Amino acid sequence: MKVEEVKVSLRDVRRAIKDFYDPEEWHFITVNGTDVGGRIELKWFFTKYGEEEAFKVFTAEANYDDEIPTLTYIIPSAWISEWELADLLGLNVEGAKKGLFLDPDSPKAPLRRG
Amino acid sequence: MGNRITIPFGSQHVALPEPIRFVFQTENEKIVDVEVDVGYVHRGIEKACMTKFKYTQVGYVVARVCGLCAISHTLGYVTAVERLMNIEVPKKALYLRLLASELDRVHSHLLAMGHLAEVAGYENLFMHTFRDRELVMELQELVTGNRIQFDYVTVGGVNRDLTPEVEKELREKLKILQEKCLWLKDVFENDYTIKLRWKGVGVITPEMAIELNVVGPPARASELATDVRNEFNYLPFKEVGYKLITMKGGDIYARNMVRVEETLNSLDMLFNILDGMPEGDIKVPVKGLPEGEAFVRIEAPRGELFYYVKGSKKMVLDRLRIRVPTFANVPVMKELFIGMDYADVPATVISFDPCLSCTAR
Repeated sequence: MKVEEVKVSLRDVRRAIKDFYDPEEWHFITVNGTDVGGRIELKWFFTKYGEEEAFKVFTAEANYDDEIPTLTYIIPSAWISEWELADLLGLNVEGAKKGLFLDPDSPKAPLRRG
Repeated sequence: MGNRITIPFGSQHVALPEPIRFVFQTENEKIVDVEVDVGYVHRGIEKACMTKFKYTQVGYVVARVCGLCAISHTLGYVTAVERLMNIEVPKKALYLRLLASELDRVHSHLLAMGHLAEVAGYENLFMHTFRDRELVMELQELVTGNRIQFDYVTVGGVNRDLTPEVEKELREKLKILQEKCLWLKDVFENDYTIKLRWKGVGVITPEMAIELNVVGPPARASELATDVRNEFNYLPFKEVGYKLITMKGGDIYARNMVRVEETLNSLDMLFNILDGMPEGDIKVPVKGLPEGEAFVRIEAPRGELFYYVKGSKKMVLDRLRIRVPTFANVPVMKELFIGMDYADVPATVISFDPCLSCTAR
């Protein structure tokens, strides 16, 4: 498996992905958030079309109250993964609506630790 | 310009047994705006897998994400854990996984084809398709013990071997099924009513497929040559005659024909799997605890399924993330509806073979 991991700061993530992303070459899989205790580790996963097990992963860390920049200007389909982050991890994602996955009376941010 | 009318589609709709809700804004029956809600059956499975279950049990929990593609979910999870723990799975177990995986694809594709015939008003074809699907359901029960939601795959291998009696019955019934699927292909490909109803409807252009990261049969029906079986080495597909199938058109008809052709290819693969079944163990013992992170892609019947697993040498995982194919295809569905006639919505939705049980988890 060929994985190229790029660590970036949260404020630079959109620019870094914009500089790299060619939709004809790369397929955006999803953005994943993991609560690492007080902070969220975010990973944006891309894979190369037609190539076996070739991945590029952008990693950034965010505090619970940071604003996460949206990628929908670059990848229009990213909104659903971003709305999921907003619901399940309670993050403040730019432009995301809450309530796509959780009912109003559901526990808030269920994937946070504790 | 006509009056704007709001039309809800779901959460319960006759076209789809699962709960999804679209709220359409229409003008003269043309859709001008849409909102979507996919979270009616959120069960907190990821959270449960990170708090309540040991990593050895998680494979059986994720099989409950979806009854139809249970094998893909378990495969995604166990492959990620096996890579994390450097477990070498016996070749025979890989072939048995391949057997269950392709049986599952056949039954899932037949279900999608049947549902699509039903929403076209073609009840007779729906019943034919579902009658033939019964054969593969029986085979799944023979091989795994369950018709759906099978707990067949486990970390390190599979839970059941193939007996000579089961193999004999598999060969006999697969032969019958192959003939029936060839007949179904003829009907789906050439029937006048179907062509009239589905051709040119719900078109995803190749540009849209690329821009919106479409996955699975809808992507391949829009000339996008992407199939995880070709891009991620989780099972030996290339040893058993796998073919990448793409079509032109991007409409409902093309999406259905991709499934028809993939069903026939899966049936060919199933014969090759039985012919080439290696000897040996079906499972290896698993020791240790997962440490680090791993991610895998699996080609579920509906498209790319992504599993991310993170562990820190504990019995319970730090993170399990599941990104399912319907989730990935919701953005293009939403985009596709704008400008469409409301009457074409049910068939277009069903042509994606959506799974809300997977999407909401």
